[in-house]
Amino acid sequence: MNLAQFLAGRLVKGVLVLFAIAVLNFLLIRAAPGDPAQVLAGEAGAADAQLLEQLRARFGLDQPFLTQLWIYLKGYLTFDLGFSYRQQQPVLNLIMERLPATLLLTGAAFLVSLVVGTAMGALAARRAGKWSDSIITTLALAFYATPLFWIALMSQIVFALKLGLVPNVGYETIGANYTGLARALDIAHHLILPALTLGLFFTALYARMMRASMLEVAGADFVKTARAKGVSQPRVWRRHVARNAILPVVTLAGLQAGQLVGGAVLTETVFAWPGIGRLMFDALVQRDYSVLLGVFFISSAMVVGFNIITDLVYRIADPRIEASA
Amino acid sequence: MNFLKRFARNRGAVIGILILLTVIAFAILAPTLYPQSPWRPVARPFLAPFVNERFPLGTDTLGRNLAAGLVHGARVSLMIGIVSTLVALVIGVPLGAVAGYAGGFVDDALMRFTEFFQTIPSFALAIVLVAILQPQLGSIVLAIGVVSWPPVARLVRGEVLSLKTREYVQAAVTIGQSTPRIIFSQVLPNTIAPIIVMGSLMIGSAILLESSLSFLGLGDPNLMSWGYMVGAGRTRLLDAWWISFFPGFAIFLTVLALNLAGEGLNDALNPRLARGRE
Amino acid sequence: MMARVTGLRLSLALAASIFALGAAVAQEPKKGGTVHVVVQPEPPMLMQGLNQNGPTNMVAGNIYESLLRYNEKLEPQPSLAKSWEISPDAKVYTFKLQEGVKWHDGKPFTADDVVFTLDKFLRDVHPRWRPIVNAQVEKIEKVDDLTVKITLKQPFGPMVMTQEVASAPMIPKHIYDGTDYRANPANNTPIGTGPFKLKEWKKGSYIHLVKNEDYWLKGKPNLDEIYWQIIPDAAARAVAYETGKVDVLTGGSVDVYDVARLSKLPNTCMTTKGWEMFAPHAWLTPNVRNGILGNKQFRQGLMYAIDREFGKDVVWGGLGKLPTGPISSKTKFYSDDVPKYTYDPAKAKELIKASGYKGETIRLLNLPYGETWSRWSESIKQNLEDVGVKVQIENTDVPGWTQKASNWDFDLNFNFLYQLGDPAMGVARSYISSNIAKGNPFANVGGYSNPEVDKLFADAAIAPTDKERQELYTKVQKVLADELPVLWLLEMDFPTIYRCNVKNLVTTGVGVNDGFRDAWKE
Repeated sequence: MNLAQFLAGRLVKGVLVLFAIAVLNFLLIRAAPGDPAQVLAGEAGAADAQLLEQLRARFGLDQPFLTQLWIYLKGYLTFDLGFSYRQQQPVLNLIMERLPATLLLTGAAFLVSLVVGTAMGALAARRAGKWSDSIITTLALAFYATPLFWIALMSQIVFALKLGLVPNVGYETIGANYTGLARALDIAHHLILPALTLGLFFTALYARMMRASMLEVAGADFVKTARAKGVSQPRVWRRHVARNAILPVVTLAGLQAGQLVGGAVLTETVFAWPGIGRLMFDALVQRDYSVLLGVFFISSAMVVGFNIITDLVYRIADPRIEASA
Repeated sequence: MNFLKRFARNRGAVIGILILLTVIAFAILAPTLYPQSPWRPVARPFLAPFVNERFPLGTDTLGRNLAAGLVHGARVSLMIGIVSTLVALVIGVPLGAVAGYAGGFVDDALMRFTEFFQTIPSFALAIVLVAILQPQLGSIVLAIGVVSWPPVARLVRGEVLSLKTREYVQAAVTIGQSTPRIIFSQVLPNTIAPIIVMGSLMIGSAILLESSLSFLGLGDPNLMSWGYMVGAGRTRLLDAWWISFFPGFAIFLTVLALNLAGEGLNDALNPRLARGRE
Repeated sequence: MMARVTGLRLSLALAASIFALGAAVAQEPKKGGTVHVVVQPEPPMLMQGLNQNGPTNMVAGNIYESLLRYNEKLEPQPSLAKSWEISPDAKVYTFKLQEGVKWHDGKPFTADDVVFTLDKFLRDVHPRWRPIVNAQVEKIEKVDDLTVKITLKQPFGPMVMTQEVASAPMIPKHIYDGTDYRANPANNTPIGTGPFKLKEWKKGSYIHLVKNEDYWLKGKPNLDEIYWQIIPDAAARAVAYETGKVDVLTGGSVDVYDVARLSKLPNTCMTTKGWEMFAPHAWLTPNVRNGILGNKQFRQGLMYAIDREFGKDVVWGGLGKLPTGPISSKTKFYSDDVPKYTYDPAKAKELIKASGYKGETIRLLNLPYGETWSRWSESIKQNLEDVGVKVQIENTDVPGWTQKASNWDFDLNFNFLYQLGDPAMGVARSYISSNIAKGNPFANVGGYSNPEVDKLFADAAIAPTDKERQELYTKVQKVLADELPVLWLLEMDFPTIYRCNVKNLVTTGVGVNDGFRDAWKE
């Protein structure tokens, strides 16, 4: 099977999975009580039958259920994610407006946690049993075991309120109208807290995984052989152990990279980060079906995409791997 | 016993087990220690901890006894953790076992199905499930279970794949044992060790997940879980830190203990990977 | 109540100057400046004619205007109408419009716009104006470019209260006439006559309003810009205020406990004014269709069982006032000549026993509007269990609540409703039997039906004089307080917290919804 065939196969499978997800999402979401017309009317503190009827017609909810499903799927086939009557915008616009913020946040958190996590994990494994190992393992466990939103709120109080080092919420300084480099720095300044908070959990995860993986590889025959041949210790660790131990970590990271997009709901909520995680949650509690379905679809598509990329990287890096699994 | 010795040599694991036993003891003794409902306001709100010995951990926004909440919360949180993990195992184990044992088309189909659940962002899926089924104990447990089973299925499948080529399984096939019988009597018992390890870690994640749901307002209002307590006290971090600190710390300790114990188990079961020895 | 709390760090001199500002009106307003305000949650849209959500009103109330404004005593004041006259038979209202008013796109505002808005646009889409115009109004006509005449079918006392900005915002005819209102692309770029214009709306982050340079009221507004920031978490909003990110925390945007703490910060003022028109009234609705809840003795037992003082003092941090009946003490025609209920568990037990309650579980539907409401549910559940009533709290999200409340799927349901300045508009709707209809959480969802009450409310709405209206409303309050179709819990106060150097922020009876016209920053 050559690369093109492999890629085509994966793409077809990915599209099928996405199609199934689109249908499932629709059924799931429509099973929830409440509808967007009622929510809108309810929030306004006044409603009558005529208003509800008008709104339902707007939202397309007066159509038979299967017709609604058909319209939705037909739209998706032509990359039309629908229209949010609540927000008076095409869903794709709403998502695209929010996606960069999420990608920035999760991307930063992902990179930091991957780099720091593997480095710490490697260090801990190298020093297994020593005090530095204990510290790293304990810290990793501690971050893993603390509720994320609690860390997020505490970090706001400590670093934003008490120490005044960073802003507590938001994406940029509103009203400052920075441009160019100043704006980039401003956004980076706002990014620090949320990215670190979100990254901590994953740092802990990668550190633990890397450590375990290193220790496993360290006991493997080819490492023993290398040692027996008289290769120096640091070289063994670097060239033989670390290189092989990182593979499972990368696999995990590939899986998680996609999940991060939808998994930042809490961080985005606490830090008022205008990303799609928050968009999804708001859409859910407003039953803004088209937006909710759109976000689900886009984040699922990203998971599929990342999985294909991970497999591809694997295949290129290591031709022995049979990419059928 | 070799296993116990190996486990006992791992200090972290022993500590983990001790913490867990303490938490379980509190959970069991909760009605004896604090027979009154933890929801009942019993004193002035915002009583600081370590001041009044009747309320060693202080009181919350409504004047409810935090210590009572904490021990009653231990019951709820542990139960949510354990039951939702069981739900995940009930879905994941048979699915993984069948996929691994049958192979071929069945394996392919089941793994696609698993992949499907791994593709939808899991936290988002949990939120939607709880919103659909309305926030109550059953739906929360179910939602956590539904989003946590895929790794179990993958693990079991992997184990089964390697086990089914072993001689004793082949022997069972040769003497004509039925497939379900082989799976249940020959294959699955040998996958129990890794499942237990994974399960112990999952209980911890389930407790964390429940607390996140609670934070978003998707908790069961009739059950005082630790997650509920952290969420309810979060706006008072600045002037009444204890309201959310103690339950948060309880979550932290329990998840930590579960992980330490889980890793200890893992090391004891797989001496090859034992930590701290080269 | 206007609390001015100064911090220790404040110098005496500064403190003195702040006290001197008690008469802030006397001070010469300063021009310019930017104010950052929290709006929570993010509004769905800013076209106020089509949407009247709380957050929409807070922002759009500065973009759109109506014929009248109302001061804190709820007396009508000129706005787009310069003056108005009511005929002696109380059936003809003639409004004279301001001269030189322009829409944000430069087109002139005339009587045509008013007629279009009231007779066509709002009649078609506005759930509060529609019943009034259909039931009470004979015709709406243009007399000349600056004069509009509304003729009523019969005298309708509350008519003069209906022209508040959220209830009757003026809509530009040249943009909406002949179009499909709800699909009009202009809904994203609202065009009003108000003191501020929409510059940018970055979804999930902020809404940016800028000064309308051509505003008809010369010299206003004082501020150059307003940023409405969207911060989803209540604890984070409080920290955002403390770190200086925002200057104004609108009512309900921070946890009640944070109100007391933040009010003590330096340069921080707090007011509960600006909600007089709405006078939010919170209660529990028993579903009288469901078994024991239809029993008056049982409902009275519940009322004695609930520690309402605790709810006010502990759950709501001391904000608000205990109500005596259906009409808020802030609304016209209030009367306290009614049967009263105190916290009395012993009496509650007696009444509940006498009612024949057999231990069935009562489902209490929590209002999913944040932590405070959850605490309230929890404490009331405890109160009721203390007198032997079994309670199960049901939690759900906003759509779930709306559906359950609208479709009568509850035993006890929390709710709070606006009084809208007159019992005919904000009060009667919850008790009259003609308003028992599924699909609306603000209808008479408990299902209480009493012909005497129906008649009293109907007569009171159209009684020609205030004296006659008062008599009828006093009577109906007495009946309802005895029958308890709902259990009134609290006249709510929503505090606005702001930096003291933002002046004249709340000057009307609709509070921060239309206050930025006159606000300025020192």
